[in-house]
Amino acid sequence: MPLVDPITMASAVSKKGAASQTVTVESSASPAAETYNLLPVSINQAPLAQTLRHAQPLLLSGALTLVFSSLVKDPVATMSSTTLPLTAAVQAAYAVICLPVAGRGANDTAKKTKPRPGEKVSKKKAKEGGNNAYVLAALSLLITALVTPFIYITMILFGAPLLTHGSHTLLCAAHLSLLGLFPLFYVHGVDASAWAAVGGFRAPLDETFGGLVGALVGAWLGAVPIPLDWDRDWQRWPVTILVGIYGGYVLGKVIGGTVAWGKKF
Amino acid sequence: MSPRRSRDGGTLSTVLLVAANILIPVAIFVFGKGFFPYKPLLPGLATYGESSVYGEPPKAQFDKLVFMVIDALRSDFVYTENSGFKFTQSLIRDGSALPFTAHATSPTVTMPRLKAITTGSIPSFLDVVLNLDEGDESSSLASQDTWLAQMRKKGTGKLVMYGDDTWLKLFPGMFDRAEGTTSFFVSDFTEVDNNVTRHVPAELKRNDWNTMVLHYLGLDHIGHKGGPRSPHMLSKQHEMDGIVKQIYQAIESQDHLKSTLFVVCGDHGMNDAGNHGASSAGETSPALVFMSPKLKKLNKRLGAPLPEKANFQYYDTVEQSDLAPTLAALMGVPVPKNNLGATIPDFLPFWSDHEVKAEILMRNADQMMQVATAAFGQKMFEWSFKEDGKPETDDQKLAAGYMEFERLYQQVYRGGSPDLYEEMIPKAGNWLHEAQEFLSGMASNYDTPKMVLGLVASITALLIAVIAAYSSVSDKPSAFIPFAIVTLAYGAMMFASSYVEEEQHFWYWATTAWFGYLGFRGLNRRSPHPVAHTITFGAILLAARIIKSWNQTGQKFAGSPDITTLYLHTSPILLWCLVGATYFWIQQHLTYGLSSLPIWLSFAASTGLVLAAFTFKIAFVLEDAPELVTEFVQKLLQLNFSQESAVDLVARARAVFIGIGILMTASLGYMGLRKQISLGQPGIFTFLTLLTLFLATQSRVTNIPLFLLYNLQFRLLLSSVAELSPVEISLSSLLLQYTSFFAQGGSNAVSSVDLSSAYNGVAAYSALSVGVLTFLSNWAGPVWWGVASVILLLSKRQQLGGEVNVFKGHVAVTTVFVAAAGTGVMAACGVLRDHLFIWTVFSPKYLYVVAWAGAVHLGVGVGVGGGLYALGVREGMGRVK
Repeated sequence: MPLVDPITMASAVSKKGAASQTVTVESSASPAAETYNLLPVSINQAPLAQTLRHAQPLLLSGALTLVFSSLVKDPVATMSSTTLPLTAAVQAAYAVICLPVAGRGANDTAKKTKPRPGEKVSKKKAKEGGNNAYVLAALSLLITALVTPFIYITMILFGAPLLTHGSHTLLCAAHLSLLGLFPLFYVHGVDASAWAAVGGFRAPLDETFGGLVGALVGAWLGAVPIPLDWDRDWQRWPVTILVGIYGGYVLGKVIGGTVAWGKKF
Repeated sequence: MSPRRSRDGGTLSTVLLVAANILIPVAIFVFGKGFFPYKPLLPGLATYGESSVYGEPPKAQFDKLVFMVIDALRSDFVYTENSGFKFTQSLIRDGSALPFTAHATSPTVTMPRLKAITTGSIPSFLDVVLNLDEGDESSSLASQDTWLAQMRKKGTGKLVMYGDDTWLKLFPGMFDRAEGTTSFFVSDFTEVDNNVTRHVPAELKRNDWNTMVLHYLGLDHIGHKGGPRSPHMLSKQHEMDGIVKQIYQAIESQDHLKSTLFVVCGDHGMNDAGNHGASSAGETSPALVFMSPKLKKLNKRLGAPLPEKANFQYYDTVEQSDLAPTLAALMGVPVPKNNLGATIPDFLPFWSDHEVKAEILMRNADQMMQVATAAFGQKMFEWSFKEDGKPETDDQKLAAGYMEFERLYQQVYRGGSPDLYEEMIPKAGNWLHEAQEFLSGMASNYDTPKMVLGLVASITALLIAVIAAYSSVSDKPSAFIPFAIVTLAYGAMMFASSYVEEEQHFWYWATTAWFGYLGFRGLNRRSPHPVAHTITFGAILLAARIIKSWNQTGQKFAGSPDITTLYLHTSPILLWCLVGATYFWIQQHLTYGLSSLPIWLSFAASTGLVLAAFTFKIAFVLEDAPELVTEFVQKLLQLNFSQESAVDLVARARAVFIGIGILMTASLGYMGLRKQISLGQPGIFTFLTLLTLFLATQSRVTNIPLFLLYNLQFRLLLSSVAELSPVEISLSSLLLQYTSFFAQGGSNAVSSVDLSSAYNGVAAYSALSVGVLTFLSNWAGPVWWGVASVILLLSKRQQLGGEVNVFKGHVAVTTVFVAAAGTGVMAACGVLRDHLFIWTVFSPKYLYVVAWAGAVHLGVGVGVGGGLYALGVREGMGRVK
């Protein structure tokens, strides 16, 4: 059947032939998977990290619940003065305490689906972050801020209002990148191949990638209630989208970090 | 590799596919028969009859009737302080005019409203469709009983009519003198009314008529164009008030008119945007004023003007159908047979005897009871023959009320005391209103077995189509997941009234997600050119984003700004640049598309045809929306054929249609003969270019640039056809078809059907041509994508080595979708048949699903698409590449 899946054939032939010798049935769905592999991120084992890991979703959703009424009343003020700084702080603390530093663990690549018995186990080095972690968190925040305009443009492409509600959408985009992208910047830095895997949705699920997928799907599903004729204030842009982002992120992160850990699309 | 199923599933799947596509229209027809109300109509004209219980028929109070309809005359236009009807208000104050708010039931469009006014019955929902399809015989009232027919039978004079030609279509042969005006162009505020007014003075001098109907359209046009607060509104009201004054003063001063009843009313109102069709307070509240010097007898000196009210209910509210029995009583004719209106009691003091007043109400009740008996039969009375029988069902209770009413009447008639009469009047009024409400509601008597049968047929069609699709599409089962999600979500969406009203959001939302997904998936697959790939899908998304903000549609945000109102209406130069660019692009492609012809011929043919189409558009817009035509554009009119800008629009349109027809035939002929009509591309591209030109002719001028964007999306998709599996092409095609429909301003409301291009090239009304043109102008986007999809499929076929019948797979997939949509809407209409919005939201949606299934899927997708695909295969698409 060479013609049904021409792209698969083309890529299998042209790309890194040595690596793609173990073609399995599943891998034909994501043919490039065998050429590059990202390991799922493990959370630091320290008690504090484990506590924060579980507390973070509660903190985020609790904070959103508390400010919900003021969010409905004045979305821009609430997002810019309350939820955005708070989420940034929570995410930064979560990254520094719970996540392995870029280049030390998650970012290691393997040439095969399963690590060989003799291969180094990178988790051990994860705690060595130290000062490095704070610098990295700050840098990641900076990159997060830099990509926010691109998220904004993507939101416009997906139907966000262009001429009105500019700051609403921009703040919404900032939340999306802070929740979905910031942890990934922290663990992967700007490693192009890692981001290619994330961008092509072939990275393994973990707390970071699961959170991103959840936040994106949540933002998308958040648009569903807007057209309904319930005439509620919270149907106004961008309340449902923001709630969708938070809900999706928390759900995706929890699922990605537990039952679906290490699985791929 | 995993084992694949056979390439096209063989004969069995073909049989199943054909069966499913036959079953779908059958299911739609059967369900529709059960769902849309059928009302038994009593034939013939009513007579006073030879009943012993009545005396002489009540004496007529008037012998002439002037019935003036002002289209879309909302109640507040006449009754409030900001109104221009100052003279009418002075008549209300001195008691010679009696004002009402006449409740118009949905659908608030002219033809069903005129039916209600003249017959007194509540027209069924299907009349909306027949209103659009104006030539339909069944909507004619020639054979039905109306007060017009009664006035004619009375024989005291001729019937004359000036104004909206809907009357002439409704009542063929009814009027002795008539001139109809048509409302092709809503930009006409003055001419259309002057054509009515100029007949009035002469007719007022004549004494040979007993009924004069006038129907003014200008005010409705102003509403459609500029809304109820348009700067033209007040001056139009002054103009109409002047005509009222002219007629009223003639009645006052001229002897032969002294016994004339003058009625002024709106057929419906309008909403805040100036549109009508649905059931908002503004749309259902037209004004109704009775005028005559004789009305002073009634001693009603009501206040005028009144302060504005949000619910538009001024003075007493009556039903529009109440006009029929009231007019019948006042003019001294029998109440029309199928009337469901109740005589307005305010006029009863005209007759001095209680017996006569009682008789008028009793005759009204008798007549309504005949309607009830025709629907329910004698079982209404069965309980009364039994000992201790009690009325149980609603119809039996109605009969019981009637018998009580009749008993009281008999006593009054035999000379009972005035007290008895006083007791009877409120009871009579109550019964008439109960009967009116009950019998009008009867219009929604569903034929449940038929509805169930239709639903079962639709589910069967769906299952068959699923099997056919599974066995005729060679995709991996997982490739069906996005299609299945869209289909299931769409079926489920039918149950949410807001999502039916705002369906565009579903398609915009699904389309962006789908192309976003394809974009990311391409990265995943490591396409050989990731940058080009990203740009491709980024551009498709960008085009989709622009397309969906072109026209705001739906209900909730209908008035919000969009590209059309924000940029194109405010800057005609930008509009004509974009439109000109589109036509120029078509001309370029057409020249290329005819490049096997000698260069002088291909160039002359394409340039001449495109110029003819472009100048037609300018001439059309000059009539339809002159504010959009700049001086420079107007000069362009002289580019073609004639120095005069006033060449008949019909002739211009015909020239364009004939030219396109000839070239389309030629391109298809070349394909059939396996010859090249274009040196660089398969013949079907030439066909698509010609189709673009045709559909642009049928589109609103502001929508023409959309075809450039569609084409951009199409070319980009064509370049990435290798990345898409057949079912993914079908899904993309569906999404783009639906997106384009809503982006052009379409919605699931009947009022959004655009009739402005329905008469292009049509001189005499023909149901078929107007119907086809209406479809092609409202579904221009889906039709374009339907044909463009055939090219995508041919290209896919070529890429797969030319062995696979991708078209059959495509039809199988779209059949699944159409069957699922049909099943969804039938289930929703069935389950929600008692829902408040059943007639305003769900029934129109049913009609739209009929159009999508019948015309878009079967007509364009299977019929035209199948023919083009076969010709494309025969030509051997790709051979010339």
